[in-house]
Amino acid sequence: MESVIAGLIIAVIKILVILGIVLGVGAYLTWVERKVAAHIQRRPGPMVVGWHGLLQPLADGVKLITKEDLFPRYGNKFLYNLAIVLALVPATLVFAVVPFGPEFELFGYKIKPILTDVNVGLLLVFGLGSLAVYAIAIAGWASNSKYPLIGSMRKAGIIISYEVAITFAVMGPLILAGTLSTYEIVQRQIEQNLWYIWVQPIGFVVFLFSLLAETGRVPFDIQEAEAELVTGFTVEYGGMKFGLFPLVEWYVEVLSLSAIAVVLFFGGWSPINIPFLGFVDPLFFLGPFSPYVWFLLKVTALFLFILWLHWTLPRYRIDQITEIAWKVMLPLALINIVLTAIIAPIVWR
Amino acid sequence: MVRLIIFLIFSAWAIISGIGVITFTNPIYVILWLLSALIAVAGIFFVAGAELVGALQLLIYAVAIAVFYVFVLTAVPWEKAIKKGSHYRMEGVISLPLVLLLYVEMAIVFFLGITASPEGKFRAFMEKLGNTEVVGSILFTKYFFAFEVVSLVLLIGMIGAVIIGRKESQTYEDDTP
Repeated sequence: MESVIAGLIIAVIKILVILGIVLGVGAYLTWVERKVAAHIQRRPGPMVVGWHGLLQPLADGVKLITKEDLFPRYGNKFLYNLAIVLALVPATLVFAVVPFGPEFELFGYKIKPILTDVNVGLLLVFGLGSLAVYAIAIAGWASNSKYPLIGSMRKAGIIISYEVAITFAVMGPLILAGTLSTYEIVQRQIEQNLWYIWVQPIGFVVFLFSLLAETGRVPFDIQEAEAELVTGFTVEYGGMKFGLFPLVEWYVEVLSLSAIAVVLFFGGWSPINIPFLGFVDPLFFLGPFSPYVWFLLKVTALFLFILWLHWTLPRYRIDQITEIAWKVMLPLALINIVLTAIIAPIVWR
Repeated sequence: MVRLIIFLIFSAWAIISGIGVITFTNPIYVILWLLSALIAVAGIFFVAGAELVGALQLLIYAVAIAVFYVFVLTAVPWEKAIKKGSHYRMEGVISLPLVLLLYVEMAIVFFLGITASPEGKFRAFMEKLGNTEVVGSILFTKYFFAFEVVSLVLLIGMIGAVIIGRKESQTYEDDTP
């Protein structure tokens, strides 16, 4: 009984920490995004509210919350509000299977810094990730307006196409690791002295394309397309209800999928890897905290890379996006699976 | 004990969602009830320790299949979705005997299945290997023939879809010269 209570307390603490980190960092990433975008375009960005605009997210939050809550006259109020919940919940649930660091011992209890180490973690990521399509489809339909409907149909088409590509893209690392648990995948990479990016560059490229498409980042943000659709499926939303959709799509989902990419291709919390030889840790002086810093650094680097793409590239057309998915990405992913399945047993077994 | 309570919660959830599917008239609400029922069934699988089946239930049924219903239904005109009453009362009455027949068949298969299944045979196997590996090894040894037949059926379905999809482009070709 005592162990059950201890397990429950540990789980609650983990949930609070993860939720706090994800939502707090998610809100502050709006500031990061505006700063990075500004410097890419040679302007200072937010400078007025606080030192270098550091209090800007708070000011934005206050502004969004105090706005009047408008609702389209013939819309469906229940579904309109349900869409927000459906967007937020699956996106944050993905973090339940993201491992942040190695197992450690505290007061005699062994603690893994991952909420649930289920042995099908990766499948859950994609199941929950694609539940986002319901939020978008329902938001578009419940608004009872043309632009939201067009935006949501486009986004649903994109998610369906790229969900196939992303699932096949992660098969390569799965074959190499031989497990579906996210924690175990990192462990195997450390045991094999190999980040899977070195042998799975094709898989990583397909994963990155799908990441951008699923989160609606720029080369694929056709559901937003502010030049033609105003802002797509969020047209009829106002105030904080509007603010939540970009928060979920652009920050929480990008963070979760970047973390999964780091887990699959960059060895999770392991330091810099020299293929097949070992790991070099320039941050050894941090002691037990070094794995967490490495994980954070890798996720940050990937996030900044995605921001960089967002603020430099132009936008594709919808038919080009789905064409890339079915005619380029899916065949590439399949070729990658076949190659990996042929080579992996020769090298490791 | 905890497991039983969670199982009861999920099964009550599934039954309520099932009732919701057949009582609501707005098609979007019906789809949402269906989604809720599918998620509840995935929860039941997780409680039973079949994590792989639960995750696949979530990935394939709750997302890949139900999303196509949403995709079609978002194109339903607004007035049709909120109209009261149904055109399909008569059809419902006619289909009742067939539904009963299917239900009886399901019950028979279920009770035959209990006697035929190797009870407790896989338990040791599962503890040693883990969920995914056991499903994989059984699928590719004992039920290999059934697995191949199912994949053939899926292939036929895919070819059929391709042929239906290509018809339109052929008529275009006929018009051009």
